[in-house]
Amino acid sequence: MRQLAQVLAISRKDVESYYGKPPLVTWGLLLPAVLILAVYLKDRDGYLTVAPGMIAMTLLFGNTSMAAIVITFEKRAGTLERLLLAPLAAPAIVAGKALSAAAYSLGTSLVLTAGFVVFLGMPVARPGVLALGLVLGAGTFSVLGIVASVTVKEVFEAMTLMNFFRFPLLFVSGVFLPLSQMPGWARPLAYLSPLTHVVELLRLGTSGTAGFASARVLSGAAAGFFFLCCLMAGPVFRRCASR
Amino acid sequence: MPRRREETPVPREGPEGQIAVRARGLRKHFGAIVALDGVSFDGPRGGVLAYLGPNGAGKTTTVRILCGLAERDGGEISILGRDVRSDPLFVKSHIGVVPEASNLYPELGCRRNLEYLGELYGLPRAERRGRAVELIEHFGLTEKAEQPFGSLSRGMRRRLAIAAAIVHRPEVLFLDEPTTGLDVPSAKSLRQLIRRTVVQGTTVFLTTHNLFEAEELADEVAVLVGGRIIAGGTVAEIRARVPRARGVSLRLSEPVAEDVLRSACPAIRSAGLEDGCWQLDVTDLHETLGQLVEFCRRTGLRVNEIGTRQTTLEEAFLSLLTETTKPTARGAS
Repeated sequence: MRQLAQVLAISRKDVESYYGKPPLVTWGLLLPAVLILAVYLKDRDGYLTVAPGMIAMTLLFGNTSMAAIVITFEKRAGTLERLLLAPLAAPAIVAGKALSAAAYSLGTSLVLTAGFVVFLGMPVARPGVLALGLVLGAGTFSVLGIVASVTVKEVFEAMTLMNFFRFPLLFVSGVFLPLSQMPGWARPLAYLSPLTHVVELLRLGTSGTAGFASARVLSGAAAGFFFLCCLMAGPVFRRCASR
Repeated sequence: MPRRREETPVPREGPEGQIAVRARGLRKHFGAIVALDGVSFDGPRGGVLAYLGPNGAGKTTTVRILCGLAERDGGEISILGRDVRSDPLFVKSHIGVVPEASNLYPELGCRRNLEYLGELYGLPRAERRGRAVELIEHFGLTEKAEQPFGSLSRGMRRRLAIAAAIVHRPEVLFLDEPTTGLDVPSAKSLRQLIRRTVVQGTTVFLTTHNLFEAEELADEVAVLVGGRIIAGGTVAEIRARVPRARGVSLRLSEPVAEDVLRSACPAIRSAGLEDGCWQLDVTDLHETLGQLVEFCRRTGLRVNEIGTRQTTLEEAFLSLLTETTKPTARGAS
């Protein structure tokens, strides 16, 4: 109970310090909105194919970039050390940090989704599945961002490191191209990507059809990736945070 | 002569309950560099242990290991009878740390910083709010309570950093170079605050290279050089370990040339004149006084002022340092 209160305290403080600031909110909204509008203006009928991928991409880039900024900033300012000196287990610190990052990206992606629904007429065939996809995506990418950025010292190092997996993930996860249209050799890679399952969940939530699996399989896989990231996060954070 | 491992001073075994911080044979390497090489010391409960050493001696490394921020390669440590490795949450809830760089949240106000840290240490809401107000008042920051930490002066930041470290009323407080970079009045006021904290029953582990500060605050001293403890004990014991000349200050009724004075008093090792007052380093106090009395009687000079000067901790430290570093150069963190 006490650890939960501490996790919430870390999250509240981070929202207050970083995520509640107007530039971040607009950054999280403007980039994906402009991208989807561009696709919408080019192809009014086909934009729905890429909209779920764009939202998932927002989650991936928003969360990992924010984690890179927050963690490296706190490492340099020495404030991350404050958390390490407090009676907190490493997973509790990761949970606190991930919760605020996830809340930020969940908030921006919900506003984005609402905007597409209201202004572009994007359907929401299965709201529960859509919500589940957003939550699992936000959680997984937040933890992933924290794990990657805690291993380095500078923002540019974190961004460079993360681009090594973010861009390949974009390519193999059906963000711009449905899985059914991907070449055969790329599909096994797609199944190994957490982004694929989030994109498919969002696609299922909006259009009601998914490329390769049912909602149960997709959410099981996405939840599996989330727990895998969480398992990895504690030891990595413990080893690298005070360096 | 290089020091042998057996020569590392091990503190006298005190009753377990009276020791708040204990280290035995602490070792740490950074690659080929030996940062700590079998360090042992005891910090008395409710007192101040000054951990002295030149830059790079391994002081900060020791603090980081004791607080659980760094892993040790060998040796044993205990804080309030527990090891931070096996019982980190207990140790962390009973210690407070003021690192060398004041590391609070720059964007948060002073009060919010303290409340947040209180929350992390599990203080209930009403208690942490009350504690924040109490500490802000105690540390003279009432007018800056809502001002962001990042906009405070260095002295104020330091004060708030100490307030933050004791927000949860820790039993042991680690202070890493607390007055570094502060002006004289700020450093003095900070030392007064530290003394008040000790009076309230907190054990202080003070790492510093400011010998004056250590002399003013410490009950026990451990001197760390090149990753090894070269001396330990009370300030008086450390001073007494140095077989050095005694100091005499002397003001005579008429000016005297140095060579005349020195030839009349062979016990004088060195002499310097400061504001008309001789500062003498002598080999034997008794002998010197006899020679001076005889010199004055013979020349008809009068002694207007005379006094003896105690060996300062700084002099003792420098003497120990010279003694240790003369024969061999050692690497450290």
